[in-house]
Amino acid sequence: MARMGMVFDLKRCIGCNACVVGCKQENSLPDGVFFTRTLSEEYGVYPSVKRVYIPTLCNHCEDPPCEKVCPSGATYTRDDGIVMIDGDQCIGCSACAVACPYDARTQVTQESLEKGLYGTGELTPFEKDGYKRFTPGTMVKCDFCSQRVDAGLDPACVVTCPTDARIFGDLDDPDSKPSRLIRERGGRTPLADKNTRPKVYYVD
Amino acid sequence: MSPNQTTFSGDSFQLGYRFQNYWDFHMATAFFFGELGAGMFLVSMYFGFVPGMVLGLLCTGVGKPYFHMSHMGVPAKSWRAILRPDRSWISRGLISIVVFVPSAALVVLDVLFGWSGGGMLGKLVALVAVASSLLVMTYQGFAMSHSSAIALWNSGLMPVSSIVYALTSGAAVSLALSVFFDSTISLVLSKLVLVLVAATAVVLLSLLHSSYHGTVGARQSLELLIKGQFARNFFLLVIGAGMVLPILALWFGGASILSSLIAAVGVVAGFYTYRLLIFKAGVYEPQISFSARLGLSRG
Repeated sequence: MARMGMVFDLKRCIGCNACVVGCKQENSLPDGVFFTRTLSEEYGVYPSVKRVYIPTLCNHCEDPPCEKVCPSGATYTRDDGIVMIDGDQCIGCSACAVACPYDARTQVTQESLEKGLYGTGELTPFEKDGYKRFTPGTMVKCDFCSQRVDAGLDPACVVTCPTDARIFGDLDDPDSKPSRLIRERGGRTPLADKNTRPKVYYVD
Repeated sequence: MSPNQTTFSGDSFQLGYRFQNYWDFHMATAFFFGELGAGMFLVSMYFGFVPGMVLGLLCTGVGKPYFHMSHMGVPAKSWRAILRPDRSWISRGLISIVVFVPSAALVVLDVLFGWSGGGMLGKLVALVAVASSLLVMTYQGFAMSHSSAIALWNSGLMPVSSIVYALTSGAAVSLALSVFFDSTISLVLSKLVLVLVAATAVVLLSLLHSSYHGTVGARQSLELLIKGQFARNFFLLVIGAGMVLPILALWFGGASILSSLIAAVGVVAGFYTYRLLIFKAGVYEPQISFSARLGLSRG
């Protein structure tokens, strides 16, 4: 069985946030909801200052703390390792959000679904159709665009990235591109001390 | 700026600490009512003090569920929280409340009307009420300590602080009620409150100490509590009103009406502020920092 994961090549990321926009479009995300963010960090002292961009999303941990604390069983892991939320079972208690060290979850509010992306209360046909997937009050997060993965496609953020900084694939396949990158360039996981064993790696 | 000197990034796209704001005022108030009520019931049950038992039952059976439901994103489905006791402290806690409320009500009725006639069934119900009240008092601390995401909470002292605060506040409110309804137990209760406040102070100090020696996230939360934006309320209400004031009032005033009321108000105010601040001071650590890794200063 496959074990889907992602690698971020920080040498390639230019912080354009096209991945963020691609994700919002693919998943019809309401105002204030992001499944992925490209964070920036500046370091150094003028005039030698540098900025590094750090893409983030749900790390689809092998040992997901969000799944452990979920009291309703709404959070579960698919056979291919993608951590999912069943909106029909979620009660919106936010226990998963305070358990996730990566702050990767968001609660969808009725207000955000009603006011729309333009904040006017008028929804575009795209929003009207897209918001049907959300249950107000429930928690949402990145699911590696599971609908695309099921169709044999890469997640939207991966195909949108103009510099190929996001690499998606089967981590159990030693010949897959992410596996090779992790092996050859020493992939690191975020907050490794939390022992969640993320399936998202960083190489630089 | 040193590599480890970090900033709060809020909801921005900057790397930095982020405040947890998922568990807010409603959740803090629900936790407060659950612990206060269960503690009050247990202390009052020990003394056979019915007004304290009834008020404790109301706090846990009405106040706590009300604020939990206010917090829930989908209140109509909140019954589902009972489904995973094998792994979730919230499920275990909900079960303990479901067991506590009827068993505690039966104990109150037994004290008032003696329905069990001192038989085995009455003792069994009382035992269930005591066990479930202990679980109600502690499960919230376990739920918080289970979260490795918020380093301040990720401590074995969280359930300990829950139980000592529950018993202290429960005893303090029982004391305030006793001066009006049953003054024969007031003196013993006032001494119990003194001991429990001292125990709470030790646990709180231990919690702060472990945060100081914990991860960067725990230290950041500690700084917020004792130096940062929450310091004023922490020292004034949690320490001053919640600990110093009750000790002074009970030490010098004994179990008088005024000193008992001052102690009860102080303890409750301190406990509620503690619950709010522990939630507000919880922070997520930066996911990954390259400046720190490379030993470089952040810009």
